[in-house]
Amino acid sequence: MDEKDEVRHNVIFVVRTITLQASKASKVAMAQHGLARVLSSQGFDPDNFVSKLCQSGEEELMTMKQKVQMLSDDTAQSLKKNVYKNYSQFIETAKEISILEGEMYQLSHMLTEQKSLMSNMMEMSLVSERAVVEEPVVKEEAEENPEEETRKNLAFLLEKVEGCSSVTEVPGRQLVHNGDLVELDSETFNQIQRVHCFLLNDSLMLASWLPNRRGPVRYRFQGLYELDSLAVVNVRDAGPHKNTFKILMFPDSKIYQADSAKSKRQWLDILEETKKNKAARDKQKKEAAMLLAEQQAAAALSPVEDKKVLTDEDESEALAAMETDFLNADWLQELPEDLDMCIAQRDFEGAVDLVERVNEFLVSCPKVPAVKEFKARIDHRVKQLTEGLMSELQVSPERSLRGGPRAARRAVAQLIRLGKSAQACDLFLKNRSAIIKYNIRQIKFEGATTLYIRCLCGVFFPNLMDTGREFLKAFQEHFGCMSAFVVWAKQELQTFVDTFKRQVFGGKSNMTTIAECIHTVRQSCMELHAIGLDLDCCFEEMLEENLEKYINETREQFVEGIKYRGAEDKWRPMNHLSNKDCNKFLEETSVAGLDLSDLVYDDCFISLTMNTSHFCKTCLSLARDLLSMYTPQLDVLITNTLVEIFAAQVVHMEQTLKLQEFAGERDFIMKNAQYILEVLMGKIEQVYKDKNVDFPPQLEKVNAEYRRLKSLVKTLPAS
Amino acid sequence: MFSCWTRRQKANMSKAKATQPQVIHKVIMVGSGGVGKSALTLQFMYDEFVEDYEPTKADSYRKKVVLDGEEVQIDILDTAGQEDYAAIRDNYFRSGEGFLCVFSITEQESFQATADFREQILRVKNDDNIPFLLVGNKADLEEKRQVTVDEAQQRAQQWSVPYVETSAKTRANVDKVFYDLMREIRSRKMEATRQSNGKPKKKKEKRRKCTLL
Repeated sequence: MDEKDEVRHNVIFVVRTITLQASKASKVAMAQHGLARVLSSQGFDPDNFVSKLCQSGEEELMTMKQKVQMLSDDTAQSLKKNVYKNYSQFIETAKEISILEGEMYQLSHMLTEQKSLMSNMMEMSLVSERAVVEEPVVKEEAEENPEEETRKNLAFLLEKVEGCSSVTEVPGRQLVHNGDLVELDSETFNQIQRVHCFLLNDSLMLASWLPNRRGPVRYRFQGLYELDSLAVVNVRDAGPHKNTFKILMFPDSKIYQADSAKSKRQWLDILEETKKNKAARDKQKKEAAMLLAEQQAAAALSPVEDKKVLTDEDESEALAAMETDFLNADWLQELPEDLDMCIAQRDFEGAVDLVERVNEFLVSCPKVPAVKEFKARIDHRVKQLTEGLMSELQVSPERSLRGGPRAARRAVAQLIRLGKSAQACDLFLKNRSAIIKYNIRQIKFEGATTLYIRCLCGVFFPNLMDTGREFLKAFQEHFGCMSAFVVWAKQELQTFVDTFKRQVFGGKSNMTTIAECIHTVRQSCMELHAIGLDLDCCFEEMLEENLEKYINETREQFVEGIKYRGAEDKWRPMNHLSNKDCNKFLEETSVAGLDLSDLVYDDCFISLTMNTSHFCKTCLSLARDLLSMYTPQLDVLITNTLVEIFAAQVVHMEQTLKLQEFAGERDFIMKNAQYILEVLMGKIEQVYKDKNVDFPPQLEKVNAEYRRLKSLVKTLPAS
Repeated sequence: MFSCWTRRQKANMSKAKATQPQVIHKVIMVGSGGVGKSALTLQFMYDEFVEDYEPTKADSYRKKVVLDGEEVQIDILDTAGQEDYAAIRDNYFRSGEGFLCVFSITEQESFQATADFREQILRVKNDDNIPFLLVGNKADLEEKRQVTVDEAQQRAQQWSVPYVETSAKTRANVDKVFYDLMREIRSRKMEATRQSNGKPKKKKEKRRKCTLL
């Protein structure tokens, strides 16, 4: 009874543990076992279960024990599996989290940047001194990128100075320096008014402060003076008035007071330098003009055109007053600011909508200065908008590359609407290149070349395909861009093939691996046909050289091998010593595609030499590999390779036939020859057939060698 | 707020102009580079002689002086011997009422150059009787003299202007040339006011409009 009790306790314990484990184990495993279901059911009572079990006798108990044991093992196994699964899932999740973390970091970085930018902008627009302080920087930039800066600077002028549209219209004009000055009376040195001076690269613009200023306009245009008729005089001593300088512009001479000695020095130096620069430019221009004049004299242009232009301008001036009314519509007045807002909020669609609307409107407006001025302001913003969109597409280290091609669609679409399809196309493709490169880099090289190449294809071709589809969608009506895509695709393929070559031909891969890899790529290439892109021949062409070299090398090795083994051939049938070993060998060869069972005799002998069977095996696998890489271009090479290998083997057999030493083995040799030249050749023919390739006549001729050897044997003297 | 300030300033200005008692005589120093225009100016202004030579761009000075018992202001524009733009040189000359045309008696070329300066001034001012003094500077360097007193006198007579030899170093005749020129300017001005009154002001307004166009 004690014993029974102990058993009962043990069983209860085991059952309990198992119940616990089973409930944790996967539900699929539970469903398979009725017992598991019973044990893991909710109202399960271990005492009741065990007491019932005890009543049914020892045998039943033993089977139950076994069942429980099995269940326990299964559960342990599945638990292990689950742990592993959970573990790998955990690793994956951790990876994902780390990537996310990085992206969040980037995001927060970008946000801080934006924030500082915003605050900068706020300060800039509220306090003009900021702009003045930053002047030297602007100047440097202007030297780097004059076109760009000119527009920026002059747009800035338009916003601030009333009535200076004529100033900003001169191409190549740019802002060099500006600042507040106080105008003094030239006789008495009394203060007259505060002015703001803008030094342009060819002239000096004076603007007075506007009383009751409203909006961004601060100054009223006073006058523009050419630098080359401007005399600057440093006032060294003007009694109590410090930091003054005089500007003589006939017939006026004006005295200005700067707020500090440094500021005055700066003005004088910059004026001097700008004058010098202008003199240098004028000199160049004069020379160019003289050249042009000579050319024009030759071309004898009529002066009528010039006059026409002049009258046009006069007319437009007259219209100017009338046309400013044109621009008084509320939405037009607010448009520049709305545009700024859209750009800042990255509402690119809205911004482009506005631009399109205003452009449509401006088309109907006559080209009067006020409209031109307005247009310049719009153009300035369009430029900003374009830049914003472009930077959206730009590949930069701080941007995540994990988005698909659809992520770029928005920017591309807006750029196309702005008429920048060429840039959009270029940037889009560059973006895609970077993404493909990034994705390829994510693949880890795990040792097996085939596997790696499969992964590589799995990344590269779908990416190419996505890009193609997206490109077709984005650039639907821009057929000019299609060629860019094709060129791009070819370039990408080239980089892909370079990687491919390094991996496949760089290592010591065998031919089967290479054939498999090539096959994989070819199939992927075929898939590209779905988007109307055919890169097959490009791929073949890029690969041709390496492949040919490789096949030739393989053939040479093969022929060498034949010669080497031929020299050692003793022409003995294979003896596997036991039936079991013999069967094992037969199995191996049949896997390789050769059936030698007919050639077995005496249980363990095969009436072929070791050399022959080896040759057959390797030759057949070579033929298979070669043919799996078959292309019409490679046809000759493949045929020649096979022909040469067979020829080498035939030479070997022929030589031994002629040797007196092996005179007794002639029948056996002929048997080998028959196998090689008829059976093996038949197999190879079958391979050709399977691949739907015509069996080349050169190989058929090899087939005939057997008959030649037969007749040779007859002519040989008997042993 | 600001506009008020400006307006008040303007009012001040006109008031100041109306009550301005002092006369300003505008003198311009012309001559080749290195003849001592700045040295003469600085000697006159501050009684000091500057040995170091540093080419002038264009400096202006103003000083209160007593001319024959009357307090006046002298405004001196010390021009650059070398100026790239002829138009700018014209602007300097236009702003002057009298000229000290300086050369160095130790340098023949600088003497020759005075003819060009004279011609230019006459063209710009469009006035043959413009107050003008021919000044031979560096008279202390007698041993290096290249321009004789005779030939300088001869030229001065030809132009019917006075010739004075000065030395910025020893201050010889420095005050004399400035005061002589101011006297000339004063007498010219008196003549002009006798002929027409208040005309220059109007002219100024008109001319300014021209430049705007």
